[in-house]
Amino acid sequence: MDTTNLILCAVAAAALDICALVLILAAYAERKSERQRWGELTGNMELSERGTAYPLDCDEILIGRHASADIRLEDLSVSRYHAMLTISKGKWTITDMGSKSGVFVNGNLVRQAALKENDIINIGSKRLVFRKRREKNG
Amino acid sequence: MDNPISYVFSCLFVLLAHAAMLVNVFINGSYSSFSDALLLAGAVLILDMAYFIAMLFFRQSSHTIDFLLILILNMSVIFQSCFGGVHFAAKHYITAIAALFACRGGYLLCRNHKWIQQQRKYFYIAIAVLILAILTLTGSRSMWIHIGSATIQPSEFIKPLFVLACATTISEQQKKHKVLCFNVVYENTALFGLIMVICLLQWWCRDLGSLPTFVGIYISGFMLRICYPKAKLSKKSFIIAGILLAVTALLAMKFAPDYAKERLHSDIWNDRDGTGYQQSRALIAIADGGWFGKGPGKGGLCNVFAHDNDIVFATICEEWGLLYGLMMICVLLIMIAIPLINPPRSYFHGTMAAGICAAFTVQMALNIFGSCNMIPFTGVTIPFISAGGSSMIVSGFMIGMLCATQSPYFSAPAAGKRNRLPAGRRQKI
Repeated sequence: MDTTNLILCAVAAAALDICALVLILAAYAERKSERQRWGELTGNMELSERGTAYPLDCDEILIGRHASADIRLEDLSVSRYHAMLTISKGKWTITDMGSKSGVFVNGNLVRQAALKENDIINIGSKRLVFRKRREKNG
Repeated sequence: MDNPISYVFSCLFVLLAHAAMLVNVFINGSYSSFSDALLLAGAVLILDMAYFIAMLFFRQSSHTIDFLLILILNMSVIFQSCFGGVHFAAKHYITAIAALFACRGGYLLCRNHKWIQQQRKYFYIAIAVLILAILTLTGSRSMWIHIGSATIQPSEFIKPLFVLACATTISEQQKKHKVLCFNVVYENTALFGLIMVICLLQWWCRDLGSLPTFVGIYISGFMLRICYPKAKLSKKSFIIAGILLAVTALLAMKFAPDYAKERLHSDIWNDRDGTGYQQSRALIAIADGGWFGKGPGKGGLCNVFAHDNDIVFATICEEWGLLYGLMMICVLLIMIAIPLINPPRSYFHGTMAAGICAAFTVQMALNIFGSCNMIPFTGVTIPFISAGGSSMIVSGFMIGMLCATQSPYFSAPAAGKRNRLPAGRRQKI
């Protein structure tokens, strides 16, 4: 193999390598702006329970005790598939999925309810606050 | 545009990667006329520029997959133009452009998950029409429709439709119906019936190579159904599905055609000029090429049948080197792994991304491991790299679907009405 061939092939491979790296970095940059866009569409909300904040990153979020739940509350008073949070036109709605202990929003037993900021949701013995997302300190 | 800086840098580095390949072709390539190489360079750079401009007209929040697509497509045009001496592969170039259009089509069709989930019956109808077309128009137990000098492989077009059938039905997991003593989800039963029909069709058409791709899509869809929060699928149904899959695999082995059984046990080195002809030549070519290859257009594998599709990985390794061949695969893997960086926002888009990843991974594995004699040899293509119009257009459409998972449509909140619903509107028990 002559040296020219080796150098040219190595240069082409290096250029492809760098290009792939740049595109991966671009994907991370786009992830940041996509999160921002999602936040704007969904009102930047989160669920908080005793200092633990659960981000609402998907258009359907299951709250329950089951391992597949997006927000897992490990308490026997919580059903395995307890409630579902969904978003439509920027409005979050909570729906009871046939749980044993029910879903309470601001003390009212509901089957389905549209949520607004600072609503208190009681699921079993757990108390969740629907609030604006707070940036982590530090 | 959300990220103009990353957009500009991505454009520059894609151009740089193609320019480095073209410099290699100019200095080191084997061409009879300099104008051939010049034509190739012009075509590649014009397509790059045109796509960069066209992308601006689509209001997407993510363009990374588009950049990876144009990177791999033009790489493919350069590879195909160099097989057996540098020339401009015009047919492959046209199919690459068709793939770009198909990508835009896939993106526009799939970005609104609420709308597309309501259209699912049309996917079943389209699959049924394609199956009928295969049975009636392809001739006796064949998978090709001949229209003049062109040939179409209709089974390729079933792949994206099957992915869509898997993805659009995931939200139906909650709707269980009591049939005898079983809880049945009609959509799951229909999907299982569909995969069975497709398997039989592939067996009938002697296209067993595509079978693992469909099974891969179905398994990914099935696994996501188990993970779907509303599904409540029990361990019992998971075990039953596993047993069914194992039984089907055993039956398939028993009733496989003779040529397929022969490939399972063939020794390519003992039968170098018979069943092992392509694989043995492919392995020798990869070894001949070494890490950095012989140079564009200087390979000898171009004289072997199907050098530009079934054993294309070996042809590229011979001319461009194993290092470049592996990096090409790496770029394809990055393209399908982008949803891991920016996860989809809906279960529909998640299922669709998983199905596409499964299809591409299985196809790449079958082609590469098959040509390297690690598994029985199949006639499956590497997406975008292998020659073939049907495969190219379908792969482009599927990448468009993947783009839709990155830039989905969600209806914006009504101005001034957000979070102002009165408590009285709540439905109390």
